[in-house]
Amino acid sequence: MQNTLDSRALHRADYYGQRFMKAGNFSYDVVPAGGVAISSDRPFSVKVREGKAKGEMNQHNVVVTWHDGKFRAAPAALTVDTGDMVMWNCNQRDAMTLAVIGDQEFFNSSRLKNESGYSHAFGLPGEYRWVDAHGSKTSGMVTVKDPGCKNEAQLKRWRKTLEEGILVMINDGKVEPSSVEIDVGQTVFFLVVNGPGISITDARVVEYSRGDTGKAEGDRSSAKASAR
Amino acid sequence: MAEITAALDETGANKLLDTAIGILPPQSKSGSGSLGPFVASYGVTASLTNGDIDLIPPDIIRIVDLRLDWSLSLSFGFDLSSILPDFCLPRVCVNIPCVGKVCTPKICIDWPTITIPVSFSDFVKATGDFKLDIRLVGNVWKVQALIVGLPNLPFGATTALLLVAIGAAATPILLAIPFIGPFLAIAVNAILLVIGIAGVTGFLGPILTPFISGLKIPIYEQPKLFPVLPSEGPVDPQVDITIDLVTAMVAHNGAEDELVLTADVSP
Repeated sequence: MQNTLDSRALHRADYYGQRFMKAGNFSYDVVPAGGVAISSDRPFSVKVREGKAKGEMNQHNVVVTWHDGKFRAAPAALTVDTGDMVMWNCNQRDAMTLAVIGDQEFFNSSRLKNESGYSHAFGLPGEYRWVDAHGSKTSGMVTVKDPGCKNEAQLKRWRKTLEEGILVMINDGKVEPSSVEIDVGQTVFFLVVNGPGISITDARVVEYSRGDTGKAEGDRSSAKASAR
Repeated sequence: MAEITAALDETGANKLLDTAIGILPPQSKSGSGSLGPFVASYGVTASLTNGDIDLIPPDIIRIVDLRLDWSLSLSFGFDLSSILPDFCLPRVCVNIPCVGKVCTPKICIDWPTITIPVSFSDFVKATGDFKLDIRLVGNVWKVQALIVGLPNLPFGATTALLLVAIGAAATPILLAIPFIGPFLAIAVNAILLVIGIAGVTGFLGPILTPFISGLKIPIYEQPKLFPVLPSEGPVDPQVDITIDLVTAMVAHNGAEDELVLTADVSP
């Protein structure tokens, strides 16, 4: 199974979350990762109505499944209140990695912009330096330790630690905390409060793709950011 | 009818069979077999080394500690979920300052299908009784020792060592599977438990036994027409005799047992 740290390609142990701060109808599609630029269908929707007091948030989960070469979202049409968080996940063994893409710039799992999040459960020990594959300088480090369980009691303790999620907040490129240390199986929730549209991507993935075609794209993104 | 007789004592027979077995080329085969509940594909190469000869009248050549050196490559694949329960990541919540709590629901992950390749070499010693088979093939007399019956191959410690090798081969493959790390020892044990000693013995037996059970050791070959005097000139041609019959037996001669080869010849 895949367990790559890359918000552009969501897999079984990943969630994409998006808060909807304004009322409106936000249609979207769930597509294989990498197909964001190609998709123009928007078969699913999130209807956001004016709701409760500012700042209050409810969470809604959308279950994504993969059948006959297509992703389906359930519920296909979801109604939420302003300020609510919607989270997408596909926990299916044979599913492709996926991306969630809406028409609005903020609504795109491969470019986390405002009030959006990406959670990833780390399945393998190691040092994960993450970067923004779109070229900003945003980066951080997650160190994942093998808990070294030798007996049942230690396994039990380790299982308990899995319930503890770690929050990493990213606001205009500032990452807090920039470095975290966790056990295998623990989940880190990357919350992008505000930003230009970033990804949380294992630096090795970016380095690898730069070896092929990504270098030019990364450089262009940097250049555009500087020009602005 | 003239007769040629050759006799070898056990020391001589040992040397003869050392040579005869030494020139047998390594044998190879491949296929698939049951490794406990799994089906494993394999390739195996084996070669023989002579043991100690015991000549037993009237016709048995017993080789004690006939050694079969074998080198095995096997590979088996299976769904890890068939031997390990699925693993669930619990519901995980984080508190977002000034906003509230966000939770990921429990996510259960079934384990993938894996393939474990194993390479292993060892040897096994067996005692085999052979009988001499003599036949005229074309115009050549051929004497070979044919094994009698099916020797029991005592795998003994080999099975435990092969299980250890399987465990060692499984470890790096399991380590690459997300979330299994803390259960690594459990997973390796689960694999070894379902295979077990019986599984290894049941796998090795049918693969290795045929290398010995069908064994034929060529001992002697002689054309039926045997030159006894070379040509000395145009009027003095080569002198041949014809070997009409070859027989072999193990005879008790005083304090020793001997392998006796007899040839009936005619001009």
